[in-house]
Amino acid sequence: MSDLFESLDLMRSLTNSFLSTSDSEKFYQTTLTTGVTIFKARGGVVRIMDQTKGSLEVHSSIGDYPRHPLDQRIAKRVFFTQTPFCLNRRGKEKPFQSILCVPFLVKGKSFGTLTFYDKEIEPFKFEEKDLWLLLVIAQQLSFAIENLIARREIHTLVQEQERRVKQLSTLWELSKALLTTVHFERILHLTLTAITIGEGLGFNRAMLFMVNEKDRMLEGVTGVGPDSAEEAGRIWSSLSQKKENPSEWIARISSASENHSLLNSLVKGIKIPLEYNPCILSRTVLEGRSFKVQVPQSEEGWIQARCKRGCSLGSEIGCFISEHLSHDPQVYSFATAPLWGKGRVIGVILVDNLYNQNPITDEDLQYLSMFCNQAGLAIENAMLYRHLEEVHQKLKETQTFLIHQEKMAALGELSTSIAHEIRNPLVSIGGFARRLDRSISSEAPEKRYTQTILKEVKRLEKTLSQFLSYTHQEPLVFKELDLREIMEESLSMVSQGEDGEIQLIKEFSSSLPLVKGHPEQLKQAFFNLINNARESMGGRGALSIRIYPVSKNGFSHVRVEVEDTGGGIEPEHLHHIFNPFYSTKENRFGLGLPIVHKIVTVHQGQIEVDNRPGKGVTFIITLPAEEGKKDEKDSRGR
Amino acid sequence: MKKILVVDDEESIRLLYKEELEEEGFQVEVAKDGKEALAQIPRFKPDLITLDIKMPGMDGIEVLKQIRLFERQIPIVMCSAYGEYKQDLTTWASDAYVVKCADLTELKNTIRRLLGLL
Repeated sequence: MSDLFESLDLMRSLTNSFLSTSDSEKFYQTTLTTGVTIFKARGGVVRIMDQTKGSLEVHSSIGDYPRHPLDQRIAKRVFFTQTPFCLNRRGKEKPFQSILCVPFLVKGKSFGTLTFYDKEIEPFKFEEKDLWLLLVIAQQLSFAIENLIARREIHTLVQEQERRVKQLSTLWELSKALLTTVHFERILHLTLTAITIGEGLGFNRAMLFMVNEKDRMLEGVTGVGPDSAEEAGRIWSSLSQKKENPSEWIARISSASENHSLLNSLVKGIKIPLEYNPCILSRTVLEGRSFKVQVPQSEEGWIQARCKRGCSLGSEIGCFISEHLSHDPQVYSFATAPLWGKGRVIGVILVDNLYNQNPITDEDLQYLSMFCNQAGLAIENAMLYRHLEEVHQKLKETQTFLIHQEKMAALGELSTSIAHEIRNPLVSIGGFARRLDRSISSEAPEKRYTQTILKEVKRLEKTLSQFLSYTHQEPLVFKELDLREIMEESLSMVSQGEDGEIQLIKEFSSSLPLVKGHPEQLKQAFFNLINNARESMGGRGALSIRIYPVSKNGFSHVRVEVEDTGGGIEPEHLHHIFNPFYSTKENRFGLGLPIVHKIVTVHQGQIEVDNRPGKGVTFIITLPAEEGKKDEKDSRGR
Repeated sequence: MKKILVVDDEESIRLLYKEELEEEGFQVEVAKDGKEALAQIPRFKPDLITLDIKMPGMDGIEVLKQIRLFERQIPIVMCSAYGEYKQDLTTWASDAYVVKCADLTELKNTIRRLLGLL
């Protein structure tokens, strides 16, 4: 009887321990320890059905147990028949080899077995009462185990949910960040950095390729990731030191610096035809789905790139030629995900774990795909916005041009009637003055008066001609010109005597490409600039003239700079100096600068103003050189 | 003595041209518009006509067309305050185009050239 009491007492403490633990390992261990004490057995084993493998596996054990096929078979039989089993065989050394085995049943289904071996006290074999006792214990345990399993399932579920929630909140924070900007480069940077940093998606490297619909090509745009294992280690150790929440690290990576990594320049050079089927990247676009690839190391020690076209993108390997895998990974995993815009794939994200060689799981890929959906829309938005801005800019330029054209047309009409109304009287005044002049002897004091009238009429007529040549376009004959010669001629038009203390500084390049142009017009333009400069300096200052070759957009140009020290232009007038209708109160500019502007435009050049209020102003004219224009024609023809 | 008909709507211009050209040794008559000019030609039989373009009523280009309908030989010099009509194809039916200037040297040279006096 004392045996029974002892057993019951042990069972009570066992049940207590079940209630206090959620650790299945400890639970089974306690069960075995208690069981061995109750049954005075040499050892015990808990077997649990592994659902994934479909086989009964030893989960915990205590003491010695026979690793014998027969033992396994008995356990299986007990498991499937749900019937307890007791076996006592006569042995050679010991009186008996004995096995006592019962099933763990939960809701009428067995999920494991509990077995004890070899009773170590008289009668050295298990008896029926042992079997019944074990059955009672097993029944009690089943409830506890059921709880335990449920609790464990809940625990895993909770963990899973927590991870999901964390992922989703990170995704949410990221898409929020992606929505706050339409800046194309910033969005790309944010996307790739979010994929690579540990708090984000945690891949080692990320690369972005965009679809070029026109050429049917996939073009590398940018890549983010360390260039070497050492760099990777450095980054990771510095990152693990600070713990940040998503909004903190997103804010940090949003304002990050330029990307000068080797990877970035490598990616930028990659171009793959979309129709090139064997390439995973092309397939990602064409099939619109993500891929996950794991490549083992080859016998030669390299990861083999099977792409034979030399596009440095192996068909199976992603985008790495072997020398970039210099530190010999055992396994190389990479994955791709399409970037979806509205109804079409606009690009591909390629990720890999080159440095830590972590495998990429289905979940990783799912997470990546979810993020890429967000990023794709943001990138497409940014692209549309950029396109819109370009169109808007063009529209603005066209509008400015049209307004200018309209003004010119109005001015043309105006000038026609002005010409008539002014020139006719001028002809009479000048004509009769000339007649008068001829009749006056050169000694008479009146001679000076008629001479003055003639001089002034001539000046007025000249102004009128200038004005008309500005408003009425005449077909021009262009010649190949050396701007240095034109400038010298313009300078010679300035009467030197009047230049009291103006210092002339000439810096002409010794070799200069020719410019195709109208010599008289250009002479006029330079003259007007020189005249303006001289007038602004009021007889004292320095006039610097520079002529030198420049390259603009790959084409050869000649630049002419006229700089004065005449105090510059008041900022409020600056916008109007090329406007023919606008003149300052002092009428300082008049038609001089609009004429220069017109002439430069006719020559397909550009004029810029570097105004330094209080100091001086530099007019900078850039004209296309003859060779430059030729290039332009060539490229258009292509 | 060569005869010149000056057509211009401005009286002072007519006076100036008449005096200057007479001084050069031409016989000059003036007309103040196209109508007057067309009426004068058959009677005066000028050797050359100077024709202002911008005139009220019938403009110089219209007058040019009318003259050319019955008189193809007389040289006609178009005079204008601006060069715009240089690109007007109808002015090509004239023999010369002179932009008005207080200095009449260009006009006089043109007239002499057209009359074969140079």
